[in-house]
Amino acid sequence: MKVENGTSADHLTDDELSSLALAPTGAPEPLPAHLSACLRCSRLLAEWKSALSEIGAEDEDVIARRPADEWREAEDATLAAIRRAGAPGRGRARTLRWAIPAAAALFLFALAIGERRAAPPVAFDDPAGLSAQDRADDALLRDVDRLASGDEAGSGWSALAPDPERPEPAPAAEKRS
Amino acid sequence: MKRLAAALFFASVAATLAALPDLPEGKWWKRPRIAAEIKLTADQESRIESIFSHARPTLIDRKATLEKKQGELDDALADANADRRAVAARVEAVENARAELQKARILMVLDMKQVLKPEQWERLVRMHEEFRQQRRERFGRFLERRRPLGQRPR
Repeated sequence: MKVENGTSADHLTDDELSSLALAPTGAPEPLPAHLSACLRCSRLLAEWKSALSEIGAEDEDVIARRPADEWREAEDATLAAIRRAGAPGRGRARTLRWAIPAAAALFLFALAIGERRAAPPVAFDDPAGLSAQDRADDALLRDVDRLASGDEAGSGWSALAPDPERPEPAPAAEKRS
Repeated sequence: MKRLAAALFFASVAATLAALPDLPEGKWWKRPRIAAEIKLTADQESRIESIFSHARPTLIDRKATLEKKQGELDDALADANADRRAVAARVEAVENARAELQKARILMVLDMKQVLKPEQWERLVRMHEEFRQQRRERFGRFLERRRPLGQRPR
């Protein structure tokens, strides 16, 4: 019997769902029995998988795609702040004591960014730039991969898995063969 | 005899699967970064697209068949009075449909592999493995950030 909505007291926590979503695909692993009975948690797990995929793909791309002008502006703003901090009334030596390491850190950061821009990470899953037909084909191929490998969520198989945390089923149901 | 043939078929599919590593998902040949990385030529892209176009109707049909069989199995499992033999038959139907879909997919990928040079194929497979590894590491960092301070390893 499936739990349609939030009626089960044993729903998986965010941490449990994210740990399951993090697991590499293709590797068989034990799933909590609760998932076999709870549509809510199954759906949440699917959403977690999708969200984590997107975050994983976007995380570094966003930084890598940031234009050089933005980095220069950030550098200039920081250096201007350093100069302002060296206003009359403060010792020059005291200003330089932190300004030099800060400038050095900025320089190294700019170098690192330059390196990243020269070799941007490969975004396999970025559908940007694909035509409508290509996107449809892309979705078809992903579905085929998922179905052919038996990795689909909500498969009927899980409904057969016993849930040790659930109370014993009614005797009549047990005797059915 | 039928069982032997089925066993041989599944053994051959398993062997092919073992020899056929995962590729990037979706229409990888249309992604400029991947194409640039493996130095995919316009002619190769066109041939791969043609292979996919040829396979697409079969993939669509077999995907639909598998989903239909899965729906029938789900119905049977939800039925409190389901007949055991009927469920077994539906399980078999699902797995046969899945095998047919997998066969179409593998043959398509093999045809695509023939279009690529060995070094292109190896690079493509390695890129996918690297990407998956990176993604796992990023997810790990993401989860680490979400974990309360007291639970983080020092």
